[in-house]
Amino acid sequence: MVRFQLGFKCLLVLVSLLFNGLAIADDANVTWAQLTDSQRQVLNPLASEWDTLRPWQREKMLDIARDYPKMSSDKQERVKKRLANWSRMTPYERENARKRHQRFKDLPADKKNELRKKWHEYQNLTESERAKLRAESPDTYGDADN
Amino acid sequence: MNRRRDNMTNEKHINLMDDEVTSNLVVEDQIARNITELLNDRAQQLKPQQEQRLSAARGLAIDYLAEQQAQLASGNRVSQNGNALRWFGQHLEQHRVTSVALILAVMLLTFFAVQHLSLNNNLENSDAFLLASDLPPEAYADKGFNAWLDSN
Repeated sequence: MVRFQLGFKCLLVLVSLLFNGLAIADDANVTWAQLTDSQRQVLNPLASEWDTLRPWQREKMLDIARDYPKMSSDKQERVKKRLANWSRMTPYERENARKRHQRFKDLPADKKNELRKKWHEYQNLTESERAKLRAESPDTYGDADN
Repeated sequence: MNRRRDNMTNEKHINLMDDEVTSNLVVEDQIARNITELLNDRAQQLKPQQEQRLSAARGLAIDYLAEQQAQLASGNRVSQNGNALRWFGQHLEQHRVTSVALILAVMLLTFFAVQHLSLNNNLENSDAFLLASDLPPEAYADKGFNAWLDSN
């Protein structure tokens, strides 16, 4: 009897994990029309291209929509502004960005300020100068897959 | 009338049976007394050889008894040392369902705690926080910016 109860409980856990996995897989295939109101509100900059996104891209965007309410209002504003550009970046660029963002987070505050200034200076360069710099710099990272 | 006669006959039968049992017990008791007297008489007439053999047998029996008691005492010491384990085993045996439920509850709690912790850890690493960062994602992804930083 005890063995039966134990087996039954294990089965319940396994079934719930399986359904959890299926639910995640379903999330990645959800169309724009199937999104909730709050998800659509966050992901609005992607409305026109949502249904053309690959499942893993949708999954990442849904993660962003999930974490969005946990942010302050000014950060939420930044996310909305940058979301469309982010979705158009290649998987390789996104992976590079994640790695560099990790390094940036670990920097001391004065270094972060310095980098912010440098970014503004870099923005003032002409497009041809920036293109030249990009062409001259070698690929630092390996292949990215998402 | 007939019934009264039957009852009287039954009582007589019962009395006869009681007398028979009592006389049997008396006879057995007498036989036992006779045996005891006979043994006592013969015990007084033992030869020295027989006395020696009896004494040796008694010695052996006493030695055997002493050995048995020593083994029993050492066994008790061992079981005293293993008391905690035995108690745990008995406890598990008696409360098997509770124990299984307790173990399952601990496993589930651990599972949810690990999930919660990993979720919190991933939160700061999620893409949402990258997008909300001080620098735009293009700054992190732009190879040219990196090269420009190196040259300046």
